Amino acid sequence: MTLTAFPSPPPGADYDDLRQEVRAFLAKELADFPPEKRAESWNGYNRDFSRKLAQRGWVGMTFPKEYGGHARSALERYVVSEELLAAGAPVISHWIADRQSGPLILAKGTEDQKRAIVPRIAAGELCFCIGMSEPDSGSDLAATRTVATEVEGGFRVNGTKVWTTYAHVADYMILFCRTGKSDDRHGGMSQFLIDLKTTENIQISPIIDLGGEHHFNQVVFDNTFLPSDALLGQQGEGWSQVMSELAFERSGPERFLSSFALIEELIRLLRKDSTEAQQAEIGRLSAHLKVLRQMSRSVAGMLNEGENPALQAAIVKDLGALYEQDIPRLARSLLSRPAVPGGRDSYAAVLAYTELAVPSFSLRGGTREILRGIIARGLGLR
Amino acid sequence: MESMIFDTAERLFRDHVSHGLREDAAAGQCPEALWTRIEEAGLHMALVPEEAGGFGVPASEALGLVRIAGAHGLPLPLAETLIANAVLARAGLALSGGRLTIAEGDGLQLERRGGAVHASGHLTLVPFARWADRIVTIAALDGADHVLSLPVKDLTVTPARDLAGMPRDDVAVDLDLPGANAAALPVSMGGMRRLGALVRSLATTGAMETILKMSVEYANDRVQFGRPIGKFQAIQQYLATMAGETAASRTAAEMAADSYDTAAFALNVAAAKSRAGEAAETVGALAHQIHGAIGYTQEHALHHFTKRIWSWRDEFGTELDWTKELGRAALSSPHDTFWHFITDSTAQGAMA
Repeated sequence: MTLTAFPSPPPGADYDDLRQEVRAFLAKELADFPPEKRAESWNGYNRDFSRKLAQRGWVGMTFPKEYGGHARSALERYVVSEELLAAGAPVISHWIADRQSGPLILAKGTEDQKRAIVPRIAAGELCFCIGMSEPDSGSDLAATRTVATEVEGGFRVNGTKVWTTYAHVADYMILFCRTGKSDDRHGGMSQFLIDLKTTENIQISPIIDLGGEHHFNQVVFDNTFLPSDALLGQQGEGWSQVMSELAFERSGPERFLSSFALIEELIRLLRKDSTEAQQAEIGRLSAHLKVLRQMSRSVAGMLNEGENPALQAAIVKDLGALYEQDIPRLARSLLSRPAVPGGRDSYAAVLAYTELAVPSFSLRGGTREILRGIIARGLGLR
Repeated sequence: MESMIFDTAERLFRDHVSHGLREDAAAGQCPEALWTRIEEAGLHMALVPEEAGGFGVPASEALGLVRIAGAHGLPLPLAETLIANAVLARAGLALSGGRLTIAEGDGLQLERRGGAVHASGHLTLVPFARWADRIVTIAALDGADHVLSLPVKDLTVTPARDLAGMPRDDVAVDLDLPGANAAALPVSMGGMRRLGALVRSLATTGAMETILKMSVEYANDRVQFGRPIGKFQAIQQYLATMAGETAASRTAAEMAADSYDTAAFALNVAAAKSRAGEAAETVGALAHQIHGAIGYTQEHALHHFTKRIWSWRDEFGTELDWTKELGRAALSSPHDTFWHFITDSTAQGAMA
C-alpha cells in the first residue's frame, strides 16, 4: 500500500535561517500590503516584486547555476514558496515559470532554449502561461484539437485555448497541441515554446471570472507561424512531457494555502476571545494544515530525489482543495459577520473575496473527479 | 534493521492472525501461543533503549510495529506492552516481562505509607487488563509524575469490552507498592493519554490500510450489471477518498512517531489522534458502502477492522478532546501569526 505512504522529509528540511530571511524580506516588502490583496494569494501579479525576489536568489532556486539558477534543493524552494503563500505575496508573475515551465525547459529543451530562457526566468523577468485547456477539451486533455502542421521552416498553428491564466501579460506560453495522427489517444501530441510578445497572429482576449477578476483568457491561433526551434522536447512526446509536469503542478503548498489570508483574519479575531467549540474547530483546522504540509513536503522530498510521485501529488491536491475550499464555511460557522466585497473591515473583505475564489480550487490544475480517477487507478483497480 | 523487524512482524502476523483467531479473541479467548511467538521475536521490547535491554532501533521504527499490528487486527496488547516497557525503563523500574497494558492514571490517588506508595481508586476501560500481567500507569505524587507498575493479580478486574469485543476492563486499585513498582518519572514522556493516543493513531492507520485493500479487492471482484463495481465512477471516487484519508492519517501518525521524545511531540500527537479519528469515520462508512450487505455480517472479515477503528477513536482522547487542545494552543500561542505557530516545530501545547 505504498500509495498511502508519504515518507518524512529528510531531517534538517526546516531551513530555519532561510525561512527567517524570507520573513524579514516579506515584512519589509509587504508592510503596506492589505489583507484583501493578500487574499488574492498566488493570483496576485506584481512584476517588480518577482524581480526583487529574484535578486535575493529566490526564483529559479533549484535551477543549475550555469543557467542562472542557485542549485538549491526542492525543499529549500519549498520553504520560500510556503512563506510567500502564507504572507499572500503577489507571485503569479514568476510562479508558473518557476514551478513547472523552467524545470520542463531544463529537462526537455535544447541547449539554445535553455540558455535563452532559463536565466531570464531565474531573474524574475519572465511570466509564463500554460496552453492546455480548450473549449472542447477540459478534463479530457487528450481531446485537444489545436493542431500544429509542419511547413517549411516550422509549423502553422490553428486552434483555441481557454482559461489561460495571465496570458494577457505573459511573455511566453508553453502550448500543448496535436502535431500528428496516432492510433494511440495520447500519441501525436507535442509542446511548443511560444514568444507571445513577438509572434504574430495570436489573439488574446479576456474571460472575466465570476468575481469580476481578469485572470483567464481565450487565446486564438490563426495560422500562427512558429519556427522549428519553438518545438519543446520531442515531437509526438507531448503527452508524457505534460504528465511529468503534473507532480510539480499538483503537490505544492499553493494547493492548500489559497485561502490562508482568511484563516489568519479568522484567528486574529478569535484570539481575543473564543468558546470551546471555536477552539475545537481551530484545532481541527490546525491538524489538517500540519498534515497537508507534511504530505506536500514529503512530495517535495521525493521530487528532490528525482522520483515521479504523480499519484501522491494527486492525493495532496485532492485533500488540499477540500481544505482550502472549506475555509469560508468554517469561518461562517464560527463568526456571525457578513462578507462585504471591498469592505472596510478586513475580515469581511477577505471573506467576500475568498467565497468567490473557492469554487475554482477543485477545477484548476485537474478537477476533483479526474484526480480521484487517477488515484483509484493507482490503487490497483482493474 | 528496519526491514528486519518489520519483516519479522509482518510474517508473524500474516501467518498467525487469522479471521478465526480474531473471532475467538472477540469471544473472549486470549491467543496465548501467539503472544509467546511475539516475545520470542522480541517485538515487545522494541521501544526500550538499548542500555535498558532493548535492541536499539529508532523509536519511529519501533512504533511502526503498531501500524503493522493494526493492519492485521492483532487481538493482543503489543502496542500497550511496547509503551509500558518504554515507560518502565524511563522510570528505572524493572522490566519484568509478560503481557503489559497501559492506563491513564487520573482516577488514582497516591500517598506515601512508610517506604511504600499506596495507590487507590479506579481505572476505566483498561485495554486487555484481564489478559495482562501488569498495568503500567502514570499518576501524580507530591506534584510529580510517578510511574506505577500494578500487578493485575492484586487488583479487582471487572470485565468490559470495546465495540470490537476486545477487553476494556474496569479495574479497582487499592494496594501498597514497594519502591520496585513505583518511581518518579525523571523526564516527562507526555503522559499516558498522549502515548496511548500515539499508538491508537498508528494502529488506526494500519487498520485503514487493510480496509482500503479489502475494498479495492472487493471492487475488482464483485460483478454487478455485468462488470466489476470498481468500473463505476461512484465506487472509484469512494476508494480515492478512502486513500486520501488513509494517507493523511498515516502521515499524521508517522509525524507524531518521528517526534517521539521531542518538543514537537505534544501537538503532533494531538494532530495525529484527531486526524486519524476523523479519517476513521469516512473510511469506515465508505468501506461498508462499497462492500454492501456482505460487509455487514460477522462472516466477512471487514467488521473486525471497522469496529476497531471506531473503538480506537474514543480511546485516549476523542477528536474533540485533541482538537480543543490543539486549538487552545493555536489561539493562545505567543507567535505573531498562526502561520508562525504552525511552522514552529518546537511550539508547545497549552496544557489543560
